[in-house]
Amino acid sequence: MSLRNIKIEMLAWFEDRLGLSGITKFLREKKVPQHRHSIWYYTGSAILLFFCIQVITGFMLVFYYKPTLEEANASVGRIMTEVPLGWIIRSVHSWAASFMIALVFVHLISIWLTKSYRKPREMTWMSGIFLMAVSLAFGFTGYLLPWDDLSLSATKVGTDIPRSIPVVGVWVTKLLRGGEDVTGDTLTRFFGIHVCILPVFIFILLAFHVYFIQKQGISLPLRAEVNKEEVKSLPFWPNFIYREVVVWLVLVGIIFSVAIFLPPSLEKEADLMAPAPEGVKPEWYFLFLFQTLKIFPPKILFIHGDTIAVFLMILAGILFFFLPLIDNKPVATKGKVITLMAYVFILYAVVMTVWSLW
Amino acid sequence: MKLKHSLFTRRQFLNGLLGGWLGALLVSFLYPVAKFIFPPYREPEEVILPLSNFKDMKPNSVRNFSWGTKPGIIKKTDDGTLQAFIAVCTHLDCNVTYLPEQRKFFCACHDGWYDENGINISGPPPKPLRQLLVVIEKENLILRKEGVK
Repeated sequence: MSLRNIKIEMLAWFEDRLGLSGITKFLREKKVPQHRHSIWYYTGSAILLFFCIQVITGFMLVFYYKPTLEEANASVGRIMTEVPLGWIIRSVHSWAASFMIALVFVHLISIWLTKSYRKPREMTWMSGIFLMAVSLAFGFTGYLLPWDDLSLSATKVGTDIPRSIPVVGVWVTKLLRGGEDVTGDTLTRFFGIHVCILPVFIFILLAFHVYFIQKQGISLPLRAEVNKEEVKSLPFWPNFIYREVVVWLVLVGIIFSVAIFLPPSLEKEADLMAPAPEGVKPEWYFLFLFQTLKIFPPKILFIHGDTIAVFLMILAGILFFFLPLIDNKPVATKGKVITLMAYVFILYAVVMTVWSLW
Repeated sequence: MKLKHSLFTRRQFLNGLLGGWLGALLVSFLYPVAKFIFPPYREPEEVILPLSNFKDMKPNSVRNFSWGTKPGIIKKTDDGTLQAFIAVCTHLDCNVTYLPEQRKFFCACHDGWYDENGINISGPPPKPLRQLLVVIEKENLILRKEGVK
């Protein structure tokens, strides 16, 4: 029996048991439209690339990291100084998190501006908002794990914010902290959330998100959506994948360069009883929310300023989630107000972020 | 099948019964889960410290202590009495510090300020710092929650 026959027989054996020919046929026939907005199609797979980097470097870090009050900071120190190439792994994990979140924002804004969330893609948008929330939760829980001064205070603030919501807020804070205050229990709990709970959620959400995209086909620009034949297209396999591979290689080059030349620092171990250090800041992607909280006065009329700020944020989140149902116009309409809102949102986030760094 | 004076059919009744039973079963599983994930917390009723540790304090100076899992600050006023504060900002829970030269408590997280008696004077804090009752009994300095005798 020749090698070729063995291969054919093996494939047939698997085909009989798994019946995957439908999927390979789908991938062979899948086409990706080419137009002047095609560049945004690459943001999704770039996020996926960084997510894979996070999974791999995360697996590696977990071999040495110790999620307890006594050992967390020292174990990160050990990763940075003693573990062979540990500093690069931690640096890549830290930087890839930022890159991933940044790309999530770009991905989201591109879909907002091109109105790709409209019928029938509403649920793709909604699963995407959940994915963003889970990504931010990854960032928030991961920030505490090095257990240094800044991360402790940022976590104290972050977990205290729900408290301004009446009735349920106190319980959310307790749930996050594993008690009344941020303690070693919070660290262990955040580690559990970071490495067990969130990964399960992100994989389930990702499966739905990708399924929806395949089910409905990739979206087209508004004008092209009406008369589909006009748009040129590229076979997904192998032409489009090759192009994506080029993008991935460039991004891998960038992430390793940044990670090697600008590794994250490790501040001194967090002391639960020490006063908050100056310059407490969350990760950059929370800065605009942080600044929003900061500028609210203690009281507006008779209500706490924070309560109002948090309510506004929750309201914005809800409106955001239901955007496809609010803007349920026919696919081809322009939606100038929605576009304007996207720019206002970008402007607000940028101004607030810059202000908080001032 | 529905009897003449009945509000719902036998099937609806049985479905409701079964659904209600399943719901109750689910709640009976979720209750211990909820109990498990919220650990018990008891704020200390009082903290007893040796008075000798605080005898040599100068006016307008502070010492730290632990109030359960929260940091506390003991401050000597100009007239020699001791004041005890829970050194946690009433805004968003950051630990505050006392700046003797300015005679103010300061929270670095969101630029919150309190005067020397812990009254919120500037920035986002909505309330004064929590103050504890200071009692001196023989060689002990006892700090109690306000209202506990």
